[in-house]
Amino acid sequence: MGAASPANFEALEAQARTLLAVFIAAGYEAVAPDIIQPAGVFLDVVGEALRGRTYVFTDMDGKELCLRPDLTVPTCRLYLQRHRDADQEAYYSYNGPAFRFQPASADASHPREFRQAGIEAFGDKDAGEADARTLVLVLRALQQAGLPGWKLRIGDVALFDALLRAADIPERWRRRLRHQFLRPDAFRAELKRLSTNPARSAAAFPRALVEALDPNDVARAESLVAEHLEQGGIELIGVRTAAEIAEGLLAIAADTKAPPLKPEAAALIEAYVKTKAAAPQATSVLRKLISKPSAAFSEALDAYERRCMLLSESGVDMNAVEFSAEFGRSVGYYTGFVFEVLVEALGPSSPVGGGGRYDGLLKAVGAPRDVPAVGGAVHTERLLAVVRGGKR
Amino acid sequence: MSARLTFAVPSKGRLMEQTAEFLGQSGLTLRKVGHDRGYRGAIEGVDGIDVAFISASEIVAALGSGRAHIGVTGEDLVRENISNADACVTLLKPLGFGRANVVVAVPRCWLDVSEVADLEAVAAVFRREHGRPIRVATKYLNLARRFLSGKGLADYRIVESLGATEGTPAAGTADLIVDITTTGATLAANGLKVLEDGVILRSEANLVASKMAEWGEETKKARDTLLARLGIQVKMD
Repeated sequence: MGAASPANFEALEAQARTLLAVFIAAGYEAVAPDIIQPAGVFLDVVGEALRGRTYVFTDMDGKELCLRPDLTVPTCRLYLQRHRDADQEAYYSYNGPAFRFQPASADASHPREFRQAGIEAFGDKDAGEADARTLVLVLRALQQAGLPGWKLRIGDVALFDALLRAADIPERWRRRLRHQFLRPDAFRAELKRLSTNPARSAAAFPRALVEALDPNDVARAESLVAEHLEQGGIELIGVRTAAEIAEGLLAIAADTKAPPLKPEAAALIEAYVKTKAAAPQATSVLRKLISKPSAAFSEALDAYERRCMLLSESGVDMNAVEFSAEFGRSVGYYTGFVFEVLVEALGPSSPVGGGGRYDGLLKAVGAPRDVPAVGGAVHTERLLAVVRGGKR
Repeated sequence: MSARLTFAVPSKGRLMEQTAEFLGQSGLTLRKVGHDRGYRGAIEGVDGIDVAFISASEIVAALGSGRAHIGVTGEDLVRENISNADACVTLLKPLGFGRANVVVAVPRCWLDVSEVADLEAVAAVFRREHGRPIRVATKYLNLARRFLSGKGLADYRIVESLGATEGTPAAGTADLIVDITTTGATLAANGLKVLEDGVILRSEANLVASKMAEWGEETKKARDTLLARLGIQVKMD
């Protein structure tokens, strides 16, 4: 695999031209984001887990840099270089290398140096329309490149968000569940804890202090914390302030008093996460599951249905598409629609393409506000391997 | 290609002395070959073994790459420096010295943190207040990352620290640390506390065999002789 062999190099180049031609014809300007990225901004966004697989180095000026582990964040940065106020619509396509550490035991579908060809759309006015167009374009490009068939899996992180917002629980519990959504086991454990004994390990904290704190008097909480530290001879070191520590303790105090998450609400969330259905049936399954949906959840369901309709109108056979509620867990920055394109020859852990909506990412890399954004990319080495039928 | 077994032994300090004592308990004596400051040696009365005196961290690299067949080094260094340690080396026997724990420690003034799970809430408020993730200073980049990510922490940054790690929270260059400790006294002196579930690894020196080295008939024979003399029974092919 890889571009090292001359035969592969030529074939990958030809394939990339095919993929890019589809994107460019649809109005996605070809761009070449920097391969070398500042480690700081970039890795603050993708999280430490991907950083663990990113090649990070220090240059001669002592700057911490990295080889990009994907092209989405670099393309976001390129967009912001061109449009500092992030107030323009922009449609970009790219083809280029990305780098991720792989253990020596990794298979041929996981090379440490691979090329992604993809598209990103920024500032769209109609999310459903932009979502559908992104997937349709990726599929068209795959088809043009000679991929004979595939299996499509979709999800929608916005549905999960809306479901959580409807639950009658403190915002910090929602944050915890959202956070653990990425890890199925931890998520289940968190759900169980919140519905039985939310005040985990409250005994480990200074009890008298926790009991004395009044959530309606934050200023006094801060001075109580400062007093407690002084009496205990504990120095306030580091960047965190007494106010932040007081805020943390107030949350712990609130947890000791808060009624647990209702078992029915916990069961509902768990049942939702397990939902898998053919894409067109997903909404009826979910409407049956959630008999009294909140306005936000109904809205999210409507958006899902409209997106499916748009995809169907564009010729995607939605009956063959699987909806999976928990899909979207693996990448932290997705906020809505997610998709991946699987092929039998490579199995479920090596999609040939994938993408989704990430409305919060641009702000995280420096935009003044959230910017609607959706994109998708093709793993070109995998695509080539499948198109060649595994032959060299 | 020499058919002799390379046995990597720490070249200095307590670790070298304790390794010599451990071998001495089985009646084995290390001897330097050539001049006294040299780095090559042998075990008296045992044939087919070249002793290489190198630093403990280089021993790990030598075992991982297969340049050494057997060596004495800390488990912390093995787990940190070899990405798929169990595929590359076998820990033959813990040796009872060089004991130290790799731990997660936070400022004692963090009254709202007693377990790793509490850090998620800290990180969320911290990002809101300071516009960046919490920073973890450590020289154990891989151990720290594997442990914290395994516990479900996502929003943090590791900053590499090659010395005086325990001083970084007070200096403000990091917010918490992952470091090695024996008694905890240095941590306490720097205003830090170990989290309740914050022990990542209880480490000690180990006798370690490389799976990456060339194992021919003669090196296997030398290995079996050495292990028999040390009274270590491990089934190896």
